[in-house]
Amino acid sequence: MISKSALLKVILLGDGGVGKSSLMNRYVTNKFDSHLFHTIGVEFLNKELDVDGHHATLQIWDTAGQERFRSLRTPFYRGSDCCLLTFSVDDGQSFRNLANWKKEFTYYADVKDPDNFPFVVLGNKLDVPERQVSGEDARQWCRENGGHPYFETSAKDATNVASAFEEAVRRILALDDRADHLIHNNTVDLQRKSHPDPSCC
Amino acid sequence: MVHVYNCHPFASQQIVQVEQEPGLVCCGGGVLFVVAAGGCKVEAYSVEQEGCPFICRFATMGTVKSIQHSKIGDYLVTIEEKNSATYLRAYTNWRYQAEGKARVGVRLLGHLLRGASVQGGVQMEIIEIPLSERPVAMACCSVTGDLLVGCENTLVLFALKGQNQQNPNQSQQIPQSTWPKSQQSSSQSQGQTLSSNQNCLDFERSVILHLQKIKPKKVALCGGYVAVHAELEVLVLKLDSSCEQNTLDELSDTKKTDHLEDQADFLVLQRHQELLGDRAKDCDIPVSIEKTGLEDSTGQYTLSYVLFRRFTPDFFQGCNVEETQLHSLQLYPLFTSNQSVSLEEPTCVFCFFSLPTAGYLYSLMGGVELLSAYQYPEKVLEAVLTDHLLHVITKNALQCFTVRCSAVAARIKDPYIDTTIKACPPCSLEVCALRMQLFIGLRSVCVYGRHVILLSTADAETPEEPERTTHRRGLELKEHTLLTGIFLAVGIDPATTPALESLLSRPFLSRKWTISSPKETSSAGHGWNLYVVDTVSPLTLYQEMVEYSQRYAETNPQAQSLRHLLSEAHLLLRASLLQTPEQQGNIEGNPAVSLQTDTDGPAEKQTAVQTGIQELEEALRQNCAQLGDCFSRGSQKDCHLALPYYRMSGLSVTDIIARNHPLPSSPHSYGPGFLFYLKHYLLEETEQILSQETADEVIDIFSQSEPSQLVSVCASPPMINISPAQTLQVLQHLEATAGVSVPLTITMATMMLRLDDLPQYSQLMERHAEMLLVYGFIEEPRLLLHGGGGGQHTHIRPTALTRQLAKSQPGLLVAAMVALHENNKVQLEQAGHIFKELGCENCLQVDFWEAMLMASSQEAVIQELLFRLVSVYIDRLTNTTSDAHPNEPHAPSRRRSLKSADDLMNSCSHYGALYPWLTVLNPAQNTSSQHQEALYKLQSLLCGPSLSVGSVVPLMERLSEESLWGFSLHLLCTTRRGQYDRSIEKLLDRCPQAIIAYANHQLQDKHMVLWWQKLLPELCNRTRAAADNSILLSALKETLVVVAMETSPTEFLELMPDDGTAFYFLPHLLTCSQSHLLA
Ligand SMILES: Nc1nc2c(ncn2[C@@H]2O[C@H](COP(=O)(O)OP(=O)(O)OP(=O)(O)O)[C@@H](O)[C@H]2O)c(=O)[nH]1
Ligand SMILES: [Mg+2]
Repeated sequence: MISKSALLKVILLGDGGVGKSSLMNRYVTNKFDSHLFHTIGVEFLNKELDVDGHHATLQIWDTAGQERFRSLRTPFYRGSDCCLLTFSVDDGQSFRNLANWKKEFTYYADVKDPDNFPFVVLGNKLDVPERQVSGEDARQWCRENGGHPYFETSAKDATNVASAFEEAVRRILALDDRADHLIHNNTVDLQRKSHPDPSCC
Repeated sequence: MVHVYNCHPFASQQIVQVEQEPGLVCCGGGVLFVVAAGGCKVEAYSVEQEGCPFICRFATMGTVKSIQHSKIGDYLVTIEEKNSATYLRAYTNWRYQAEGKARVGVRLLGHLLRGASVQGGVQMEIIEIPLSERPVAMACCSVTGDLLVGCENTLVLFALKGQNQQNPNQSQQIPQSTWPKSQQSSSQSQGQTLSSNQNCLDFERSVILHLQKIKPKKVALCGGYVAVHAELEVLVLKLDSSCEQNTLDELSDTKKTDHLEDQADFLVLQRHQELLGDRAKDCDIPVSIEKTGLEDSTGQYTLSYVLFRRFTPDFFQGCNVEETQLHSLQLYPLFTSNQSVSLEEPTCVFCFFSLPTAGYLYSLMGGVELLSAYQYPEKVLEAVLTDHLLHVITKNALQCFTVRCSAVAARIKDPYIDTTIKACPPCSLEVCALRMQLFIGLRSVCVYGRHVILLSTADAETPEEPERTTHRRGLELKEHTLLTGIFLAVGIDPATTPALESLLSRPFLSRKWTISSPKETSSAGHGWNLYVVDTVSPLTLYQEMVEYSQRYAETNPQAQSLRHLLSEAHLLLRASLLQTPEQQGNIEGNPAVSLQTDTDGPAEKQTAVQTGIQELEEALRQNCAQLGDCFSRGSQKDCHLALPYYRMSGLSVTDIIARNHPLPSSPHSYGPGFLFYLKHYLLEETEQILSQETADEVIDIFSQSEPSQLVSVCASPPMINISPAQTLQVLQHLEATAGVSVPLTITMATMMLRLDDLPQYSQLMERHAEMLLVYGFIEEPRLLLHGGGGGQHTHIRPTALTRQLAKSQPGLLVAAMVALHENNKVQLEQAGHIFKELGCENCLQVDFWEAMLMASSQEAVIQELLFRLVSVYIDRLTNTTSDAHPNEPHAPSRRRSLKSADDLMNSCSHYGALYPWLTVLNPAQNTSSQHQEALYKLQSLLCGPSLSVGSVVPLMERLSEESLWGFSLHLLCTTRRGQYDRSIEKLLDRCPQAIIAYANHQLQDKHMVLWWQKLLPELCNRTRAAADNSILLSALKETLVVVAMETSPTEFLELMPDDGTAFYFLPHLLTCSQSHLLA
């Protein structure tokens, strides 16, 4: 049981104020704060979950969306297993910036195979009546940029938040051999420690 | 041979309630950190509290491969893996992660920005430390909190920054990271954000060491010492920050040439190598420094080699590489309590590392040396060094060995160790193993204070947990066979090794071994366990060792093992006493004291620590007494150690004598160590007066064992109560066997004196000439003087013999004192004290000073004596009248001086012959002899060559010039100071009849001109005023004779007074002219 547990790193990216921290809070602690502070740098929280019989530890990384914090967040893109590109449906600019976020991530995360890397796109603040981005525009963008799944969420109302994160996990586990590789890696390392290379004799 | 003692180092065990199988374990700061196997989670447990309660849990960012805790800064550092990449991370403020639910901040090294504060509290923070190479090992410095990371070819040193930056005022402020968006001004810059922080740690990359030829496996760091080991090599370096330009590059260049030559020797097979201190630079591993720190915070670094050791697998012995692999590298600082409060520098630093078969402990400060080599009976997986013990684990047992760290530290701390004052077992004392505790499937060990934390992962089929507490007897047997099996497995047959066999024959679960059973059942289900085994307090272990030693003491007191065991016990106590009071309190995990801290206030804790120290000190005194016994009875070798150990025991001489009564059965009577102790301590340094009984016993001891010492024994102050009659018999016997000697005769005379037998006393004293007696006193000064010697603060005092001599043979006493002074056996002040005690300050002491003037050649002493004597003579002159009455009221019945003024003038160069003109001034025989003697002596000193007149002028002021003798002394002074004009005037005023004698004596050579420049005009003037003064006239006449002889006729004419009668001067002019014609 223990050996099957995997640590999955999921990173939230998107413009400042789109609700990344709120989404993480809603998902992990099921709370919402209407006066949240801007995030500075990078923070994370762990969440244990079972998806389709797989036990996983989800490590959710929340980043600062404001431009001035770029140098603080980019070093931590490496090692991500999934990237949640987030915009706010009441903020057109945040949607138009999605492409830049994706580029920034691919560049700094040093993703080997960007075409197959799991991205999930979140349109947040669904509850706000004044929409600037239509669901159709968003879906079209997702189709054209690599067929990413798209979720419309509200951190305030808890709409779709859990499903979005679960989808992220599913996407990661879907890369089956990759997950196996992860666990396999660990075992090899442990063994190498206790059985040194005989060639040094 | 490795001593194995059947002592119980372990007291109790607890099982930590861990849910998941632990993968890695480390501890520090009273906390045990457990990383779940293969997991990304760290759980913290308090080892200081009963039952090791859970503190908190937090997630790591990757799979932890290695973990360490730093006491300073309370941070954790990990090497982690995620998606095949390796990371180095530091976890700070982890204690704020109680639920594992709070957000964790992440940042890069150097990007100190938010502080650790978020809304409402401190936030746990992870600092990611980027490295250009893959990190392999890391270590934290327990002195500074700095971090050393070993990569494939480099060692990177990170300095801990920002610790204790908390500003109490800041805590009131709202940290900027918590500003609501609405209030955030657009002008707010990142710089401002960075400035506010509390509780915040960061690291600064300060130095990179490039190691080309060694692949680090483990590293260690302690106060500037850097240690690294590869599979078969250990290298220890010292990094010093200094202003000097680093010369290392040069150094490694020059080395390369040597190196090539060396290579020839090592080309085929690199052999075992041990290079200590500077010589370590000859190892094959060049190191270069790359400085990376900021200009302002780091200076230049210099690097020196400290230690290098290389092992080679010994294939012929059947060892393979695996068995020769190094592990458990440790740099270990030892702090001692006499250090400054800051505790910045440890007293000593040790380096430990281990092979599976042997461990090595080096002392690094003050000269690198191998302290101990530990030969393990079985393959050791891991070892941890502590102040008191070395803990090692094998697959199936926890065992401890004694360590010598305290022997090194004690010597650095106390320079009196290894003198006659203090002793401590040697650093080279063979180490020993204590009894082992069996476990199953041990994997790793770590230690916090007295808590040893063990991780065991037994194979699934491992049996028998529940039986443990029930059938003791059966258990013993089982353990016995198991252990025997282990020994046999490693090729040791216990039956052939008595120590092992005795070890195996004893029960393994002692009364002291307690197991917290209630929790055990819950953990018995799985194949792993995390134990916290507490070691017994050093005092308890000490007591057990002492108990154990009693058995040796009864059967064979000479046994080396007894001495060894007592020495072990001694070092245990020392290690505890060396610790700082805080360490003795709770920080280092002393459960006994730390438990109290929860309930009691600081005052109670203080007293608990205090009584703890007192107990330890008392135990140390007992131990010193026992060690003293060992050395006092032992062989000639090291017997001198009885003295310092007995001294440290605080026992009285009487106690120690009682402890050394020969056993009725024993063939030899008193041990050499005991006699050494008696001679040096009792006879030279102590002032403890022995009772008559004890003193007589001492005489007995020496007459049996070392009769030649008897004189010195009898003369010793503590022996003052010996019974004289009995001693006399012993001494007479000695004389009959060893022959006559002067000190012996004097000693016998002293006994006669004690017996009040004056005739016999005198008879004995008359057996030798006075000169020989003086030599006798030089040989044994304590016949005359007691106390005042050594480091004792006692005053010097005369003996009964001295008092007798003052009465009956004062000359001998004075001669003896002078001889003692000249042989540096007594100082001037001490002699003064003796004479004062004798009530002879004014007589014998003065005689002594006069005699000293004759004998001494030290200028400083002479000047001092001259001054004192002048003052004494002046006293005598003022206190006696110049009347000739025999019975003077001021100085009743004063004894005559030993030396008269004449004697002194004849025999002592400092006393000058009296100037002839003084006879004119000195009244003849109309004063008392005392007075006259004093006057003559003083005049003689003033006439002598040595007295510096200037220095005694203030003393002279006490004398009036009224009397002629007083006047004579003042005149001597003015004359000696060269004031002839004034002297002439004064003399003409007071005593003109002496003027020609004075002038004849004083006005010679260059002062000759005064005859005509001063004396002639004076006389002319005075005779003019009193023409009928025949004394003046005859003086004038005499003067003219001299002037006529000494001047030319023209000069003479010039000198004629204008009103003089030519007739009067004419004959002199004639003489003058004639003498010049002749010339
Ligand atoms: N109405 C509504 N408001 C939301 C929702 N999610 C977030 N907010 C609000 O939007 C503001 C910004 O949310 P954050 O979660 O702090 O945004 P962020 O993406 O973390 O911003 P940065 O940390 O600056 O990158 C906050 O005041 C939230 O209360 C939502 O679903 N509905
Ligand atoms: Mg945020």
